Amino acid sequence: MKNPLTPIKAIIKDIRPEAEGVKTYTLSTEFSFVAEPGQFNMIGYPGVGEAPISLSAIMQVGDSTLRDGSFKHTIKSVGRVTDFLKDFKKGDELFFRGPYGRGWPVKKAEKRDVLIIAGGLGLAPLRPVIHLILNSRESFGDVSLIYGARNEKNMLFMDEFKIWEKDISLYITVDEVSDVSKSPHPPFTKEWSGGINVGLVTDLLDRVKIKPERVIAFVCGPEIMMRFICRGLMMHGMSQSSLYVSLERRMKCGIAQCGHCQHSGLFVCKDGPVFSYKEVRGLPDGVL
Amino acid sequence: MTGERTFQKFKRLIPKKAFLLWLDSLKKDYKLIGPTKTGRHAVFKEVDSSKELFMEYETTMLSPGKLFLYKPNEELFRFAMNGKITIDEIAPIAEKQIITGVHPCDVNAILYLDRTFLRTFKDPHYEARRKNTLIISLNCARVSENCFCSSVGAGPFLHAAGGYDMLLTNFESEYLVEIKSREAEELFGLEGRGAGQDEMRFKAEKEKSMHGKFKKNINVSGLDNIFAENMEHHIWQQTAEEKCLSCANCVMVCPTCFCYDLRDEMSMDLKTVTRYRCFDACQDMKFAEVHGGNFRQRRAARLRQFVTHKLGQTNQYGVLGTVGCGRCITWCPTGIDLTEITKEIQKFKVKS
Ligand SMILES: Cc1cc2nc3c(=O)[nH]c(=O)nc-3n(C[C@H](O)[C@H](O)[C@H](O)COP(=O)(O)OP(=O)(O)OC[C@H]3O[C@@H](n4cnc5c(N)ncnc54)[C@H](O)[C@@H]3O)c2cc1C
Ligand code: SF4
Ligand code: SF4
Ligand code: FES
Repeated sequence: MKNPLTPIKAIIKDIRPEAEGVKTYTLSTEFSFVAEPGQFNMIGYPGVGEAPISLSAIMQVGDSTLRDGSFKHTIKSVGRVTDFLKDFKKGDELFFRGPYGRGWPVKKAEKRDVLIIAGGLGLAPLRPVIHLILNSRESFGDVSLIYGARNEKNMLFMDEFKIWEKDISLYITVDEVSDVSKSPHPPFTKEWSGGINVGLVTDLLDRVKIKPERVIAFVCGPEIMMRFICRGLMMHGMSQSSLYVSLERRMKCGIAQCGHCQHSGLFVCKDGPVFSYKEVRGLPDGVL
Repeated sequence: MTGERTFQKFKRLIPKKAFLLWLDSLKKDYKLIGPTKTGRHAVFKEVDSSKELFMEYETTMLSPGKLFLYKPNEELFRFAMNGKITIDEIAPIAEKQIITGVHPCDVNAILYLDRTFLRTFKDPHYEARRKNTLIISLNCARVSENCFCSSVGAGPFLHAAGGYDMLLTNFESEYLVEIKSREAEELFGLEGRGAGQDEMRFKAEKEKSMHGKFKKNINVSGLDNIFAENMEHHIWQQTAEEKCLSCANCVMVCPTCFCYDLRDEMSMDLKTVTRYRCFDACQDMKFAEVHGGNFRQRRAARLRQFVTHKLGQTNQYGVLGTVGCGRCITWCPTGIDLTEITKEIQKFKVKS
């Protein structure tokens, strides 16, 4: 019997710098890999270890660049595994296993207004949702993306904003303004209509028209930010059960065995990482 | 379950000597594992002969399930690192084995581990060993100081519906033998004498009298909610600060604690990496650490995770996480007792 912990070999087909300390890796493997938006893989290398990393693009959403069954991970180097990855080159091998977990409930979002709210790296697991919406735009009502990063250097996927903007409303903010000319991307302030705001993501909630009974919200970012976003949205009349958040916990197995990701009886790797706010609000050892 | 009825019919009294000889006769096909006496303690280990068995033991430090089914340290993969990396998946080794003298709490603990390792994602190593292991349970004849299995329905007599092979009850010079699986039925050749209603009544009386002997108990009704409402109760902070060393003894001796770590080890010539799985513990500081934070940085939060995982997170598997074996109490160097913590919180509940 196959061990579910067996790593699978993948080849790096492309690497692009995304933001400060963040790179996006396009991987392909022998078979056509499919996953759902919000799911993750355990990414690793023998002798180094494994870390849970969300899929930032998958074939299933019909992204024309990924017809070949490849998939993408957008990774920030912060520790053992992620630091090791940053020196990889195109053509190198690495290992993964997955996809794991319960992703965003995109079926539930059909015919409704969709609010996508991300902070920092939290946009990575939401990008497949955006791609999916863009691919069948008519299935959804009003769609807005509210995205905040520390500064422009930390902002992901900026080159795609112009495409996204055609079909969904973008509200972008930074906590602080750094020197735009030194940004790894061309300054984009002039190129898209919304411009960059300065302030917290929560400040932008008032700018979006929220019809509580029509809208579903997908939120991903630091847990403390998700707490304020969810509470803010509830003040706008949204119910806990139409708010969804993606949690980050330490993970070793991804398959509900190692116990590291446990959160009050839930296995974040299997029962999540995406939960309705109702399921996880106020649980001990969390800040939601 | 098929055939369950025929098995239920098999209740016989077998002289202990004959029973032990029967165990010895299985040695040629099975590894025989059971309780033995080592110094002052009892330890489950492989024996050469039933003479080494110490069936009168009260409790052991480590449970048989976490020694012979779920291994403390297990090699899973070997990676050859020459140019193109190849993965060698270590095949499960599953010798046929019999574990005898397993107390009801420890059988229930194995059934609990089954939930972790045989559900959505099956662990091939655990599964292979589980399939090749015959479990002979022994109803308890003594209550150890820290046992509270009678409060959580896991002992001192076994009532599990299945998942084990045979059940013994001490009847002076005989065992009342009840067969619970087809494999055991096929293996068991002894006739003995049939146990009728009288013997079963006698067994029930024994069980009843055992229930009266417990020094530790706990009222588990509504505990999920009681804990959920008292997550900031001062007892957590107080016990953690005054007593807990975060030594993780409690989770290491716990027969239901399933947590593990995956570790890679590189050979000296840098040509092979071995990936191991080994027991891990939520009492360890780094267990729940992520970049930018630690969800259980406070010792109190870690202690609370252990206690509530045993007693108050039944949403996970639909059963309590404890089998009441009391090992965590016995082996805690500072005498932290989850039944006392619970009582303190329940007291508060009644007051408020
Ligand atoms: C569902 C899910 C999805 C995720 N998706 C993404 C994603 O898309 N992109 C992404 O970049 N990340 C993602 N993460 C986060 C990522 O898994 C973590 O950042 C992970 O810890 C990285 O593993 P690592 O081995 O590189 O870091 P680790 O080595 O595990 O380091 C983690 C933390 O431990 C600290 N640490 C490490 N070594 C030491 C030491 N020796 N002493 C003291 N402290 C130390 C580090 O400073 C850091 O704070 C996701 C996490 C989850 C749960
Ligand atoms: S108590 Fe801790 S170590 Fe034991 S199973 Fe629960 S989380 Fe894992
Ligand atoms: S055995 Fe006792 S001191 Fe050690 S971690 Fe457990 S509760 Fe704390
Ligand atoms: S990551 Fe191992 S249980 Fe969730």
